[in-house]
Parts: sequence; structure tokens; C-alpha cells
Amino acid sequence: MAARKQQIRKFTRPQILFHWVYASAWLVLVLTGMTFLWRPDPHSPAVGLGAFLQGSVGQWLRLVHRVAAVALMAAPFLWLALEPRRVLAELRELMVIRGNDIKYLLVAPLHYTFGRPPLPPQGKYNGGHKLNFWIVVLTFLGFVVSGITMWFFRGVVPAETFRLMLLIHNFCFWLGLGMGILHIYLTVFHPFTRQALSAMISGFVDLKYATAEHAEWVEQQLRSGQAEVREVPAASGGSD
Amino acid sequence: MGRAATWETWKPDPGNPNQHVAMLVDTSECIGCKACEVACKQWNLNEARINQEPGTYQSHPHLDAETWTLIRFVERTNDQGEVEWLFQKHNCMHCTEAGCVTACPTDALQYGKYGVVTLDQEKCIGCAYCEQACPFDAIHVDRNPFNPRAQKAGKCTLCYDRITMGMQPACVKTCPTDCIKFGDRDALIEWGRQRVEELKARGFKNANLYGVDQLGGLHELYVLLEPPEVYGLPANPKISTWTKLWKYAVQPLGKLAVGAGIFGLAVNWVAARRAFLQGEAAGHGAGDHAAGQP
Repeated sequence: MAARKQQIRKFTRPQILFHWVYASAWLVLVLTGMTFLWRPDPHSPAVGLGAFLQGSVGQWLRLVHRVAAVALMAAPFLWLALEPRRVLAELRELMVIRGNDIKYLLVAPLHYTFGRPPLPPQGKYNGGHKLNFWIVVLTFLGFVVSGITMWFFRGVVPAETFRLMLLIHNFCFWLGLGMGILHIYLTVFHPFTRQALSAMISGFVDLKYATAEHAEWVEQQLRSGQAEVREVPAASGGSD
Repeated sequence: MGRAATWETWKPDPGNPNQHVAMLVDTSECIGCKACEVACKQWNLNEARINQEPGTYQSHPHLDAETWTLIRFVERTNDQGEVEWLFQKHNCMHCTEAGCVTACPTDALQYGKYGVVTLDQEKCIGCAYCEQACPFDAIHVDRNPFNPRAQKAGKCTLCYDRITMGMQPACVKTCPTDCIKFGDRDALIEWGRQRVEELKARGFKNANLYGVDQLGGLHELYVLLEPPEVYGLPANPKISTWTKLWKYAVQPLGKLAVGAGIFGLAVNWVAARRAFLQGEAAGHGAGDHAAGQP
């Protein structure tokens, strides 16, 4: 008998589409926005990649940066247009921070390194997801406000405001990059949590994994009959 | 030593990087003729931008990407109740500690020889961080995306191409009253101080020399008849705290934090493979993890 395993649906198609539009725009923005990294000392010429990002290359990067910025800003509205009620439900879920989420965040660094101590039971989104959500929201606002000011209001707002916006844009960059690297690491490289990646591709995640990581949510889904469970051959699903 | 006997005898010496030049504008001698503006446009092949109607006798409302020097007209009533004009030839100050160079992410803006802040438009990406970082509003990037030269910063180069060949800057060469002087900076400061004393003796009690100490020393000096603020010049210009925080705090700390984070994740990966993949062989489960769940 071929080994089969059960999967549970976590994300809808519009949500997955939104995630990847946002994620790819974000990645393009990070890569095209990194020009400033390469000249740490104004008394010396640019170092490393900096030598290749000047002149017309840099001008093209700026253009691509702006196109990607539009995509990033549009992505949330795309999702909102496709399934507005679900967006609100998900936001409600993500915005509320409970005691267990804080406990989770305190324990998680140890747990995901050594396998113990155990994590407190989590809902659909654990403390880490909520931290990611809040950083995405705050950096989104920071990027959008400072970016639009620098793009459209240069020379209109006082120079001091522009300089502050540049600082905010840069601060958001580091905050967002740090969170982004952690997010990508956990879903692509971490030996255990990378099983979660399938949820953002097919929409389904391994039921055992979901039960371990999101006990409260799985229980609630099964009890209420909302759970969409399917069986697949053990090798498929991209979760191993 | 890099120090010429007088400012007039200054000659470029590429072998001596400590040589500092300066341009000194004796505003008491300036007649506001704008010949310097024309000479600047002509030498640097910058387009004429006319009919900008600043509403005064001033030719342009402010400097722009193709207008690198501008006589600013200050019309005012002096202490004696007379209407008078003050002229200030405004352009890049070639600061020793320059906001534009601090903000530039490429090699376009650099501290060049002789104290000149050089601008290489080939390398410029048009981000305009320099424009917004300058405390003197002396460097600009056009907003017009259709001009082939647009989206490149433009500012006074102190005629770097001319002075390195032993010539005077175009504006200096053309000035009919010789109120724009160019040469060894120390010698010009000495000349300027004497000139200020002379003017004070003649009754210009507010006369002063501007640019000696500002931002580590400007390479554009002014003999002014009134305090700098009257001309719209900041008495104590500074590179913005936001710009400094951006360049010297957030950027290096960000690099450090992200670098440390990546190292931490690498350590985590090695440890987590031991912790989570041990139980894999025994059965398809989450190993220790599931056991910990209630």
C-alpha cells in the first residue's frame, strides 16, 4: 500500500497570489534599492558592487525600483478586491496579540534550534507570523510614506523633511530585510518549519505538521467542519 | 608647501595634494552685471533658461541643474533709510565637510584635489540625495525626464577642467570689476581679512569674511558688507542630523545587525538539523517537536 498523507488547506488562491506579487515586488525593491550600501565612507570611492551600479545602470535601477514600488503598493488592494471578507477575517486573526504569542516568541528561538522546550499551542498564525505581519505593515507604511514623499514631493517639502524620509526609508530597509531573511530562512531552509512552504504554493500543508504547529487552529477547523483536508501520496506536496 | 606667495601666483601642482584653492567674492565690488553667469553657462555648455520671472532683477529664482552660478539680489532698506541692493554670487561652496558628498551613494560626488568638490555626471544616477543634503541649495537635479541630460546633478565645478590646466575659472576671468578672485586659499583669507578691515575703516561696520570656518572651511569665500543672514547665507551651516544618522548610524548598524543575524541562522541550521532530523528515520513525524505538544 502506497504511503499517503493528509494535508489541510491553509491559504486561498487569491491570498497566495497576493503573497507572491508582494514578495516578488519586495525582492526587486530590496535588490534595486541596495545601491546606497556600497559607499560607507564619503572620503573614499564606492566599494564592492558599487562600481557597477553607477551612471545609467543606477538610473535603470531607480526606474525598476519605482515600477516595483507601484506593484508592492497595489498588491494589498488586489487581494482586498478578490476576497474582501476573508481579508478582514485574516487581519482580525493577525492583529490580535495574545499571551501565548508572547510566550511563543520567547521560546521559539530555543525551540527551533534545539527542539525544546515545547511551544505553547498556537492558532492559525503563531507569534512569529504576527511579528512578521506587524513588521510588514509598519515597514510598508514607512516605505510608502517616505518613498512617495521623496518621489513626488522633492523640492515641495522642506529639505529637512526629505532627509528624515531618507532616514525612515533606510531604517525600514534594515528592519524589513532582517525580518525578510528570517522569513525566507524559516520557510526554505529550516529543517522543520520549511514544511510550511507548501501552504503558500498549493494552499495545503501537511496535517501532522499543522497539528504540531497550529494545534488550536486545526482543532477548531476540524470541530467546526470548515477544514478542507485532502490525501496525497507521501512524496508530493513539496513539504519534505 | 602649497602656499603661494600671493593668491594671484597660484599654480596647480598635482604632486601636492595639500594645496587648497578658493574663490573669493568681494561683494563690495560686485555690480550685479551677471557676466559671471553668462561666462559660466558658456564655458560649461549649459542651456540658457530665460523667462523664469523671479519678480526681481535677479536672472533666475535659484540655481538649477544647468545654472551653476547666480547673482542673488537682496533689495532692502538700510539703517539710513536708503533703499540698497546687496549682491551675492551664489554657487557651490566646495565645503571641506560637504552634505552632497556625504549623501551621494555613487562616485559622482567626491572630494577632489585642491579642495574642490568634484562632480562626475557620468556616474550620477540622479537620486538627488545631494540636492536635498546641501545646506546652501547649490546642487540640483532636474525633474524633467525628457531632457537627455536630465536626472543628472549639476553644480559649479570651480572650473576644475580649467584650473588644473593653470587657467582661472570662467567667472573669475570674465568679471569686469575683478571682484571674483581665485587662488591659494590661505593667501585669499589673508587678503579678505585685510579687505574687511579696510571696509570697516570706511564705515561698513558689519563687514565680515564668510567661509573661513564653516563646514570645515569653504572653498568659496565672501567679503560681505552685512551679516551672512542678510544675504540668505546660513551663519553656521551644518550637515543635517538626519543625514548623518542615515549615513553613520543606521547604515553601519543595519549591516552589522543583518550580518550577525545571518550568522545566527547558519548556527541555527546546523543545530536544528540535529534536533529535528534525528527522529525522521524512526517514523514520519516531527520528532521531539510533536512530543512537546499538548
